[in-house]
Amino acid sequence: MIKSLANDLYLLKYFINAGRPQFPGINKMASLSSEFIKGLYKDNPVFRLALGLCPVLAVTTSIENGIGMGGAATFVLLMSNIIVSLIKNIVPAKIRIPIFITIIATFVTICEMLMQAYLPDLYKSLGIFVPLIVVNCIILGRAEAFASRNNVGRSILDALGMGLGFTLALVAIASVRELLGDGRLFGQLIFGENFQPVLLMILAPGAFLTMGFILGLLNWIDIKNKK
Amino acid sequence: MGNILKLSFILGLITCISAGGLSMVNSFTKPLILEQKRLATQRALKIVLPGAANGVYVPFDESELYFAGYKDEAKTEISGYAYKAFGKGYSSTIETLVGVNSEGIVQKTETLFQQETPGLGTKIEGDRFKTQLFGKPVNTLKVDKDGGPIVSITGATISSRTVVNSIRKDYKKFLLALKEFNTKNQEQ
Repeated sequence: MIKSLANDLYLLKYFINAGRPQFPGINKMASLSSEFIKGLYKDNPVFRLALGLCPVLAVTTSIENGIGMGGAATFVLLMSNIIVSLIKNIVPAKIRIPIFITIIATFVTICEMLMQAYLPDLYKSLGIFVPLIVVNCIILGRAEAFASRNNVGRSILDALGMGLGFTLALVAIASVRELLGDGRLFGQLIFGENFQPVLLMILAPGAFLTMGFILGLLNWIDIKNKK
Repeated sequence: MGNILKLSFILGLITCISAGGLSMVNSFTKPLILEQKRLATQRALKIVLPGAANGVYVPFDESELYFAGYKDEAKTEISGYAYKAFGKGYSSTIETLVGVNSEGIVQKTETLFQQETPGLGTKIEGDRFKTQLFGKPVNTLKVDKDGGPIVSITGATISSRTVVNSIRKDYKKFLLALKEFNTKNQEQ
C-alpha cells in the first residue's frame, strides 16, 4: 500500500510539472541570486560586457566621483528596468527602442533635477556626465537584452547587480587614477605633500591604461582558473 | 496606415506620461534649485567682494545680476561692485560672477555655472587661469589668440575665450545698470 501511495505521489508530481508552461528562450531558470551576482564579476558591465566605457573613462578621476556616478546610473538603471519590464507586453517591437530611450531620458532628467535640488556639489563635480547617462549603453543594453524579456523581480535583481558591478568597476579604476595621478584616495593625501603625481593618470590615456590592465588581469585570472 | 496610427498612439501615450512625471518632479524641485542658485551666488559674492562687511551686498534690482558691496551696515561707503557675465561656452552657457572696483579693475572672479569638458574646459575654475584676470582693467581682457594678455587653457581655447569675452562685454551692461542705480539712489 505504501508503494502504491509513493507511486501516486510520483505521478502527481509529474502531472503538476507537465502542466507548467515551458517559456521559450528560458530553458534553464537561473536562480534568483545569480541574476544579481552575475553583474558583479562574471558579467561585469565594464570589464566583461565592455558597456558604458565613455563615462567610466571620464568620471574615474576620483573615487568620490566614481561612487556618485555609479549611484546615479544605478538609480536610472533600476527605474528603467522596472518600467520596461512592466510594459514589455504592450510595447510593439517596431518602436521599442524609441520607447526605451524616452523612458531612460525621463528618469535621467528626474535624477538631474533631484541632484540639483538636494546634492548640488555632487551635481557640479559630475557636470556634463549626468545628462550623458541617457546614452550610457549599460542602461539601453539591459533594457533590450534583459528587462524586455524577463519579469519585474528578475529585472530588479539584474539592475541592482549591474549597477553595483558598474560602481565597483568605477571605484577600482578611480582608486588607481586618484592615487597615482593626484596622490589621494577619497580626497585624503596618501603620499604626503611632496609627492609628484603622474599627470598622465588624470588624463584620458591614464584611464585607458588602467582599464586595460584591470581587464587583462581579470582575463588572466579566468584563464588560470579554467586550468 | 492603421498600424502606423497604432504605433504613433502608443509612442505618444508614453511620451505624455513621461512629460507628466517630469512636470510633477519639476514642480517640487524648482524652488529648491532656485534657492541653491541663490545660496551659490551669496557664497560667490563673499569671495569676489572681500572688502564688503559680512553680507552687505545690495542687488541693483530684482534680476539680481548686479550687486553693490558696502564696507559697513549703514551702506555709506562702497567697497566694490559685482556683476554676472554670461557667455556661450563649448558645451554650456558659462556664468561668471565678477568683482570690480569703481575704477573698473577686476578684483576676483567666481564661476557660478559651467558644464564644459571635464579636465579641459572645467579648468576655467582653476586658480592658474582665474588669477590671470585679477588686477587687470576689464577693457584690456582678451585671450592671447585675440592679441590680449590672457593665456588660454591648452585644449580649451573656446571655454577660455568665452569667459574672458563675456566678462569684457557684460561690463558695458553693468555700467548702464550702475548709472540707473546711482540716479535711483540720488533721488532718494
